[in-house]
Amino acid sequence: MGVKKREKDFTVWERIYIPEIVKGLSLTLKSMFKPKFTMKYPEEKFIPSASYRGRPVLVMENNGEERCVACGLCSRVCPPLAIEVQASETEREKERYPEKFEINMLRCIFCGFCEEVCPEEAIVMSKDYDLAFTNRADAIYGKDKLLVPVNQLYDRIEFLRQYK
Amino acid sequence: MPKFILDDKEIEFTQGQTIIEAAKQHGIDIPYFCWHPSLSVSGNCRMCLVEVEKMPKLVIACSTIAAEGMVVHSQSQKTIEARNAVMEFFLINHPLDCPICDEAGECKLQDYAYQHSVGESRFVEEKVHKDKRVPLGPLVMFDAERCISCSRCIRFCDEIAKDPELTFIKRGDRVTIVTYPGEELDNPYSLNTTDICPVGALTNRDFRFQARVWDMSDTKSICIGCSRGCNSEIWVRNNEVLRLTPRYNEDVNSYWMCDHGRVNTYKFINAEDRVKGPFIRKEGNLIQVSWEEAYSQTASKLKSFNKDEIAFIASPFATCEDNYVFKKFAQSIIGSKHLDFMRHVDPNFGDDILRKNDTTPNTLGCELLGISPNKSGLNLEGIFNGIKQKKIKAAYIIEDDLITVNPELENIFTELDLLIVHSTNFNRTTSIADVVFPSATYAEKNGTFVNFQGRVQRIRPAVASIDVDRAVDGLSLSRLDKFGTKYDSWAEKNKRDAKSSWKILTSLSAFFNNKFKFNLTEDVFDEISKNIKAFNKLDYDVIGEKGILLENINKEQSIKV
Amino acid sequence: MSVLEIIVFTVVKIVLILTVMLLMVSYLVYFERRVSAWVQNRLGPNRVGWEGVLQPFADVFKLLLKEDIVPVKANQFIHTLAPVIALFVAFATYAVIPIASPLKIFGYEIPLVVADVNIGVLYVLALTSVGVYAITLAGWSSGSKYSLFGGIRSSAQMISYEISMGFSVAGVLLFAESLRPIAIVQSQGSWMWNAWIQPIGFITFVVSAFAETNRLPFDLPEAEPELVGGYHTEYSSMKFAAFFLAEYANMIIAAGMIVTLYLGGYNLPFFNIESLGLANWLTVIIQIGSFFIKMGVLLFFFLWIRWSLPRFRYDQLMSIGWKVMFPLSLINLIWVAVLIMVFNL
Repeated sequence: MGVKKREKDFTVWERIYIPEIVKGLSLTLKSMFKPKFTMKYPEEKFIPSASYRGRPVLVMENNGEERCVACGLCSRVCPPLAIEVQASETEREKERYPEKFEINMLRCIFCGFCEEVCPEEAIVMSKDYDLAFTNRADAIYGKDKLLVPVNQLYDRIEFLRQYK
Repeated sequence: MPKFILDDKEIEFTQGQTIIEAAKQHGIDIPYFCWHPSLSVSGNCRMCLVEVEKMPKLVIACSTIAAEGMVVHSQSQKTIEARNAVMEFFLINHPLDCPICDEAGECKLQDYAYQHSVGESRFVEEKVHKDKRVPLGPLVMFDAERCISCSRCIRFCDEIAKDPELTFIKRGDRVTIVTYPGEELDNPYSLNTTDICPVGALTNRDFRFQARVWDMSDTKSICIGCSRGCNSEIWVRNNEVLRLTPRYNEDVNSYWMCDHGRVNTYKFINAEDRVKGPFIRKEGNLIQVSWEEAYSQTASKLKSFNKDEIAFIASPFATCEDNYVFKKFAQSIIGSKHLDFMRHVDPNFGDDILRKNDTTPNTLGCELLGISPNKSGLNLEGIFNGIKQKKIKAAYIIEDDLITVNPELENIFTELDLLIVHSTNFNRTTSIADVVFPSATYAEKNGTFVNFQGRVQRIRPAVASIDVDRAVDGLSLSRLDKFGTKYDSWAEKNKRDAKSSWKILTSLSAFFNNKFKFNLTEDVFDEISKNIKAFNKLDYDVIGEKGILLENINKEQSIKV
Repeated sequence: MSVLEIIVFTVVKIVLILTVMLLMVSYLVYFERRVSAWVQNRLGPNRVGWEGVLQPFADVFKLLLKEDIVPVKANQFIHTLAPVIALFVAFATYAVIPIASPLKIFGYEIPLVVADVNIGVLYVLALTSVGVYAITLAGWSSGSKYSLFGGIRSSAQMISYEISMGFSVAGVLLFAESLRPIAIVQSQGSWMWNAWIQPIGFITFVVSAFAETNRLPFDLPEAEPELVGGYHTEYSSMKFAAFFLAEYANMIIAAGMIVTLYLGGYNLPFFNIESLGLANWLTVIIQIGSFFIKMGVLLFFFLWIRWSLPRFRYDQLMSIGWKVMFPLSLINLIWVAVLIMVFNL
């Protein structure tokens, strides 16, 4: 029975073990004094770049109307079925508008498919990431929470036009 | 039989058939817009172009009569190029409205754009603009931009509804559809035009923007608008019925359905005034009680009357199963001889197309089941007189709002000591009832109706209730239904506490000495097929999706419709 | 001193030592979390109070409010007894460790050790052996296979390493010619630390101390990847906290013992403080400081090792215990004997 040779046999120095421990300890000691990258969250906030996918929001035009025409494609493509849309008729040129637009943020997985499929550039991923709820009902975001003025979303829209 | 060759396959056809008809019969799809099996051929969409050998140019399959020895290619290079070209022409002026168009998802143009189009437009100019929202009639909205001028709607009004109302005006890419001056698209079949419209040019105003088609579940059912029993489909989202569409059945309604059936026979299902549970009148008011209490109180109240003091009024709106168990309850449990049902005939309703004067779905069923008084029993008229003469002190009515039909009955029924009603909604009859049981609507239960022809047809639950679970009881599921949890609004919303009348009666029978042993609707129907000759040897599988004509009825029963 | 006075002073000392110990234990936990964070380039708990200094109290409150879960299959009595033993042993051991030379106050001379017993070292060894019972009983009484494995491993490990620990201590005892901790401290003087004289013994003792306290790289009894939580898998609330505190209290004992036995105890290094002729109270304070600083450095070493070295495999643990540590401690014993014979120390 041949003894299986290791890829690298330890030298005597390594087999004493203590020096190797010292090496390891010095490594951890060094890293103890390295600068930390942790952000002190509520005081210090992370401002994501345009490519960040935060919570999906509906684009509100400057006249206060939503872009959304309630086509339901976001709801159709949504893998976790988070989006519920109820369309209704409006006198506006677009004919349809969402009478109800709800995203269940407990279901949302921030995949961004809704934004990708939207034919009207009406739903985009925002930079909001701090979402917390204390009950299931609060996690369902209606139009009141979803509508965001378009001027806060320009860089994401620009990003989409460039890379989508 | 003569034969011709289509795509290297020999196809038999009958003399006079067109290529497209013969191909369809053999399961080969040739794309088409303007052709419709029930309408005349107009041949203006050019989508069904096929290559026929020895013909100089491509021909349209819808108007070319098949001939012996013809060699047709529907997938040749030339045909495909021609189709692409036709699609490109259609799409030049067709607006990119799919996101706001109700037809999206069941749109022929959309489907063909995927199947038969190159996928890109070379047209960079401004599209032609036309009127987007023209109400052609009370129920139909017209979007002129979307129209591809196939003329199906025009031909439908001319040929099927027999009421010419629509026509083309203008020429070239300006062509559009209008109603004749002073006319409206208001014939009783107008909504069929929205079904046959291959694009979203004609949309149903009753359903407009209610839901995307892919979010709904569809269930094969029967219209309850009249005794024709048109085959229909119930479209449900969030446990709410949103529209009814006709289902093809050549023997009953072909491809069509009347507007009354579509628009007026589903809203009560979603209505706010549904009976939400069993109610019992206490100190003058109807109070909601538990099922157990309702059963035991009803039973003890019924027991306090002599069997001949109780009258039973069945319903042509209820299924055969409900009426059968009702009859069994009246005769074998209570032992009453007074059993009848009210006929609902509206002489102004019927026409020569689909509509019948009998406005209930199951009059013939009631007759076949023998919903009639025993020899010495009282019929409907007799029951009313009996109440006036205080011979009848209690009445049991299922699923029929007698007082709304005949307001004079209110005074008669108030004479009663006990009035038990099964009802889907609160109405004038329930308002004077002592006990109200919530009965399931036709969209919430299994059962059968017999139409005026003597055809037994199935209804199936489309809406889930506390009694009927969407998954467990095998209802059709939409995409959302499959993945709903108890926390999702769409999964648990609008579940009503209603039961089929036969179920209520079966539970009630337990409080008497002779408990019925029915667990499923099938059990009731099995007994019907054993005991009623007309239904001999039938079961739900035999009835199937298209129903089955009862063979024995003419011999056994006289039809008095 | 009258008996009454001795009792009073002892009670005061016990209370003081217990308070200090509990605080040290709590803050050791806090520092463990901070040090691990620093090693891993994180910040660690820094929210409760200034830089998170109140974190230990928050933890205790949280644990107090937790539900106490006892498995159905557990032996109720022993399941409750085990953490009590663990905690008792951990705190009782501290009684014999001197933190400074006697304090002269109000005309009394008070030795700064709770119990200045002649067999102090033996007492420590005996009590730590009892500590094995806590873990074994906890593992056995939980009625869970993971707990049982943790308990069995622990007893095997502790018995194995106690031998090398005992032999290492023997070297120290040969020099000091006493089992009394104060005598051992005094025998080392200010510079003749046992760590210099018998380095092999020092290393084997430190390694054994790691093993005895179940610290990484010897934390086999609670090896999370294999045993969920080891012997305390089925413990929750304050019972769990008791084990947790006992573990850290044991670390402090181990550090105190190492300081006492090998690092000159409370004496200042290379410098005889008593030769300065300072006031007694000043000397005592400096000595206490010296003791706690030495201990602090050692405790930091404990933490540092934990976040640097991976866990041994069980067979490696056993072979190191028997094939390396035990022979090394024997060599150390011979080395000491030779030193005593040759140099007549």
